[in-house]
Amino acid sequence: MGFREINSKMVEATVAPGQRLFSQRGAMLAYQGDVSFTPNMAGGQGGIMSMIGRRVADEDAPLMTVEGSGTVLFGHGGHHIQVINLSGDTLCVEADRLLAFEGTLEQGTVFLGAQGGVMGMVRGQVSGQGLFTTSLKGHGAVAVMAHGGVFEIPITPQRPVHVDPQAYVAHHGEVRNRLSTALGWRDMVGRGSGEAFQLELSGSGAVYVQASEEKL
Amino acid sequence: MFRLQSSKVLAVEMTGDAVKAKNGSMVAYDGEMAFKKLTGGGDGLRGMVTRRLTGEQMTVMEVKGRGTCWFADRASEINLVTLRGEKLYVESSNLLAADGGLRTGTEFTGLRGASQGNGLFTTTVEGSGQAAIMSDGPAVVLRVGPQYPLTVDPGAYVAHQGNLRQSFQSGVTFRTLLGEGGGEAFQIRFEGDGLVYVQPSERNTIAGDV
Repeated sequence: MGFREINSKMVEATVAPGQRLFSQRGAMLAYQGDVSFTPNMAGGQGGIMSMIGRRVADEDAPLMTVEGSGTVLFGHGGHHIQVINLSGDTLCVEADRLLAFEGTLEQGTVFLGAQGGVMGMVRGQVSGQGLFTTSLKGHGAVAVMAHGGVFEIPITPQRPVHVDPQAYVAHHGEVRNRLSTALGWRDMVGRGSGEAFQLELSGSGAVYVQASEEKL
Repeated sequence: MFRLQSSKVLAVEMTGDAVKAKNGSMVAYDGEMAFKKLTGGGDGLRGMVTRRLTGEQMTVMEVKGRGTCWFADRASEINLVTLRGEKLYVESSNLLAADGGLRTGTEFTGLRGASQGNGLFTTTVEGSGQAAIMSDGPAVVLRVGPQYPLTVDPGAYVAHQGNLRQSFQSGVTFRTLLGEGGGEAFQIRFEGDGLVYVQPSERNTIAGDV
């Protein structure tokens, strides 16, 4: 199982009976075999409470359930796709960057304000991510979209990494994030370097960064 | 030290030295970094006035610190150029980063600049060190020798270095005037000894329309 990369912008997934996939609605390009696509009203896993949670959090990207037996090709908008394999740890990603993920993963919504209080809320606003983000936990593969390809930067306790909020894609592992500001008098008079807000990630894990400052 | 993380991401290892980079092009860093905007492209007061007058304005920041800094801009392809005392001519919009020790300035390009749709002036980078230039699609580096002059579409030209003379060629005939041109009415011809960077895409130019 898992996702096979056909090229940098397309992935192939194999579905077998009893193994479900979730994907962004409309992201299917082609399929072979007997595969059915059902729009997922709840927008993912969990019961009615999770659904309400996602609605409230505005993290309810339209998803569909992919079931049956065969192979499916996924791609969306010509964006680069990165496959991330999880083995027990948690991946945090924005719902609209999520292309597809395996049903074995446990989906949840994380309130960013819980990390860092007021600054966490400011962070969500500045990075344009809102106050909530989607978390995926367990064993399985995730396909994430990014503009211009992504690269991975490892985070170790000794080396925190700072990321431009617009270029941030996802992170996994035991990572704390914090919005660090480098606001000075220069920014106030319109002479800023354009790097006033940065996302500081510390702990141990990895962060995925895209080669562009454009949102999807 | 400049290094390509991928074809679209530039990684710079820094040990307390400074790098000039396009404003806002940092995507990530580790270690300690400070970002400061350089007013007027970092060429001093005279350079600033020149840039204002010529329209070759660059918003440049100075990055200083220890660690690794990653730069990228709108998923453009990045090319590394190593300079050993020679001069690199590049459009200010195509310059992503340069070593802090390199001098930048402006130069008059004449008719060529107008045909590229980039104005009459271009940016020069001079000294010893590395620079990173951006192109729309992977750029090819073409060598120009004394016996091998090169002709380039103004819209596909990115940068050049070395001892090159450039002239402007036009293939305008009565057909062009009738609106039956081949779309290649203007070209830039390079003669001498040096390198020319060409991108696999054409900017919108006046020349492209005729």
